[in-house]
Amino acid sequence: MTTTESVPAEASPRAAASQPLLTVDGLGVEFRLRDARVRAVSDLSLTVRSGELLAIVGESGCGKSVLAHALLGLLPGNATTTGHAVLDHPGADPVDLVTCGQRHLARRVRGRLVGLVPQSPATALNPVRTGRRLLAETLWAHGRDRADVDHLAVDVGLDPADLDRYPHELSGGMAQRLVTALALAPDPSLLIADEPTTGLDRPLVDHTLDLLRRRCDNGAAVVLITHDLAAARRVADTVAVMYASRIVEHRDTDGLFTTPTHPYASALLDALPDRAFRPVPGDPPMLTALPMGCAFAPRCPRRTDTCTDRPLPTPVTGGGTVACHHPIPIGATT
Amino acid sequence: MADLAARPSPLRIARSRLRLLPGQAGVVTAGLVLVVAVVGSLLAPFVWPLDQSAVALDQTRLAPSWAHLAGTDDLGRDVAHRAVYGLRVSLLVGAVAALVATVLGGVIGGIAGTLGGRVDRILMRIVDTIAAMPHLLLGIFIVAMLRPSLGAVIASVGLTHWLSTARIVRSELLSLRTRPFIDAAIGGGAGRLRVLRRHLLPHVLPRLALATTLMIPHAVWHETALSFLGLGLPPHLASLGNMINDGQGSLLTGAWWASLAPGVVIVVVTLAIAVLAARWRDRLDPRVRAELHL
Amino acid sequence: MTRSGRLAGAGPVVRRRLLVAVPVLAATSIGMFALGAASPVDPAKQYAGAAAFTASEENLAQLRANWGVDDPLPVQYLRWISNLVQGDLGWSTSRHEPVASVLAARAGWTLLLIGVTLALVLVASLLLGALAAYRRGGVFDRGLRTAAYAVESMPVFWLGLAAIAVFALALGWLPAGGLTDVTATSTSWSDVAHHLILPVGVLAVSQAPWFVLFVRDAVAESLRDDHVLAARARGLPGRTVLFGHALRTALLPFLTLVGTHLPELVGGAVLVETVFSLPGLGAVTVAAALGSDFPLLAAITLVTTAVVLAANLATDLAYAAADPRVRLDG
Repeated sequence: MTTTESVPAEASPRAAASQPLLTVDGLGVEFRLRDARVRAVSDLSLTVRSGELLAIVGESGCGKSVLAHALLGLLPGNATTTGHAVLDHPGADPVDLVTCGQRHLARRVRGRLVGLVPQSPATALNPVRTGRRLLAETLWAHGRDRADVDHLAVDVGLDPADLDRYPHELSGGMAQRLVTALALAPDPSLLIADEPTTGLDRPLVDHTLDLLRRRCDNGAAVVLITHDLAAARRVADTVAVMYASRIVEHRDTDGLFTTPTHPYASALLDALPDRAFRPVPGDPPMLTALPMGCAFAPRCPRRTDTCTDRPLPTPVTGGGTVACHHPIPIGATT
Repeated sequence: MADLAARPSPLRIARSRLRLLPGQAGVVTAGLVLVVAVVGSLLAPFVWPLDQSAVALDQTRLAPSWAHLAGTDDLGRDVAHRAVYGLRVSLLVGAVAALVATVLGGVIGGIAGTLGGRVDRILMRIVDTIAAMPHLLLGIFIVAMLRPSLGAVIASVGLTHWLSTARIVRSELLSLRTRPFIDAAIGGGAGRLRVLRRHLLPHVLPRLALATTLMIPHAVWHETALSFLGLGLPPHLASLGNMINDGQGSLLTGAWWASLAPGVVIVVVTLAIAVLAARWRDRLDPRVRAELHL
Repeated sequence: MTRSGRLAGAGPVVRRRLLVAVPVLAATSIGMFALGAASPVDPAKQYAGAAAFTASEENLAQLRANWGVDDPLPVQYLRWISNLVQGDLGWSTSRHEPVASVLAARAGWTLLLIGVTLALVLVASLLLGALAAYRRGGVFDRGLRTAAYAVESMPVFWLGLAAIAVFALALGWLPAGGLTDVTATSTSWSDVAHHLILPVGVLAVSQAPWFVLFVRDAVAESLRDDHVLAARARGLPGRTVLFGHALRTALLPFLTLVGTHLPELVGGAVLVETVFSLPGLGAVTVAAALGSDFPLLAAITLVTTAVVLAANLATDLAYAAADPRVRLDG
């Protein structure tokens, strides 16, 4: 599914020639709490091209979902977002999602340009509306034909008859497919899917992943946020590994899965059941108290004194970046 | 699959703690107001004695001036002077009535919460019904049957305001009963009374005290409302409700100030109590944060 | 499941609630009767009024015998309650007419005052509360909340006097009291409406804080709900998100709480009627209290309680109709 021509410092070999659809540059998100500040996203940069499927993987609480909400301007009032996230859609002026303001986001961006499959579908559905009404309302809001409701349901593997149920009458898997259908309704250029396979059984996971893959093959872009590494390996063109608010490694899928260079990425892969099935040692750090240097250092077998300095993303042979002072050399056995 | 450690996401932590501190300035001001009100009404008989029945018919309906800060009423009485004594009576009635209501509510809620079961259901059904009766009507009924007097007013407020206290105490006790440390204490051989004294009371008392404080403004409003209707304290007595009632007549003759000062006193003092109580509640239970920004 | 289908179980629920309400109302009436019996006031003397000083002891005894006030208390209670159940509410000693005719002549005005006020308060609080929540922390939100807390601490009768001082006396825009002009010979609706502006306004303003703050907090909470965020993420217009999603779900608990807040509203209405000299139940209640008129006071209190209980039941049914998660027959 992925090609292997190398493009230095560029994780996406697939459509390297085309303009990036989304360019995130130095994005930071900080929450002010009563007694603490939480840095949920730190100095994050990446690009997503049309036709590309980027998977962002990492443990719960590493800031993946915050990134998704930041791109849509849906963070609560005590959050400060810094940096840039420029959406350059052909046929429209480039728009910086961080600075363009709620009004612009609401009228032009959300739904149509950037769609979101929210996490925890059970709570993401209005409890007093049927799926049909929600879908029809979304189609109407984007000037599309409400008659497409049944089509959308079938697309995500939902029986149209189930659309007449209220959310509390849906199973977890049905709710998950419904929120996916809702995100697909406006046909967004960039779809951010936050754990879209939760609660689905194996065939439906595959069905959903294939659906996302097809969107990319038809020219849209998808960011798949997941902790399911197998899902990422199955459909993603590129994978970004997030740890404690930062991207530690961003590579093409084959490269990452065959030769991970960041010790954390390697440890994550070792946790897979079809590999060593060995959990990552230690606990992830609290985002309220991140160490000055590399956040993974306390759990890292390769740490040295230099790790108290923050490692910057550096190019990896064969494409992509890694943020580590002591990356695992490609070709070495781990 | 590699299902990684589930931790609350930062997004969720941030949402749950979004509400910010209420303004410090409001709390300090409210505290000062309350200290002045309480100290003033305690010391008033010593530093500024009032003859309740005195009138000065040569000084009727004087507009506010340096000599009479809040003007004089139809009978030439100094409004500011009487407002101080009105506050004194209102605070006294409010505090005593709130205490009566708390004891009543505490006992009934305590019985319902400790016995549970059928007793609890019946008692709570009664609470629900009394809650459906307009407080003021019930209060008027009680005053009418006992004849208007200080005692009747206190009874009227006390008998109508115990419902929320009973509900609070009951639900606290019921929720405590299910906590492991109570089971442990009972399992450890502690007697029912001992468990009540050592484990339940320390949990319930702060909430009870808060409920009493929150009730004082209501008690004051209730008392002034009864007095305003002529069903409260004896008419010659300087009470805030009586003064506003008297002021109603003065208003039509242009002496708007006669009911202004007592009203302002009610508003300022009850607001101060409410602000402080809200702050107290925040400390007691950070989850249920009142958003008071004043 | 259709909306009407959701109310399918309403019949048994209503019946069950009535079955519970009957013993409860009976217990309440016993309580009230006991309080009345403990009253130091002699109803015969009260009834005779000033004439009591000149009336002979035989006449008073005759009055007592007529009313049976010397019978044992349980007998008196049973007589009173069975009359009540048969629709005979008794004889008002303060107004010297049947209680039923007092209620018939007056209850309508009180209901009108409460009904118009409630409608006004509901519309205003939903609108203002939702807007404040939408821009929470903004100038409008802070201003509205400060005003709400301030007004909440003002006694309604004082607010009424202030309104009279400003709008009736100083500005002369509106009448200070009564239902019709003194010179009017008949009751015209426009005249009544003109006279009701101030009372309704005062009662609405004094009741509004509780409603506005509740709606504001509920909608603010609801705007942070996942499903509202999801609605925003779908690019729905702000108005749809606010009114169609956030307010819609925040409204559900509000519905039942409106029912529980009705007693407050009745109390406020009594005070407002007194301030504005309206011919509703407020004035007769006060007169009855001054005259220790047990039959009238007890009837007014019991009837209002029954009405409030019925309103609570109605709001609960409305809740069931509005929320698909609630099933009455479940």
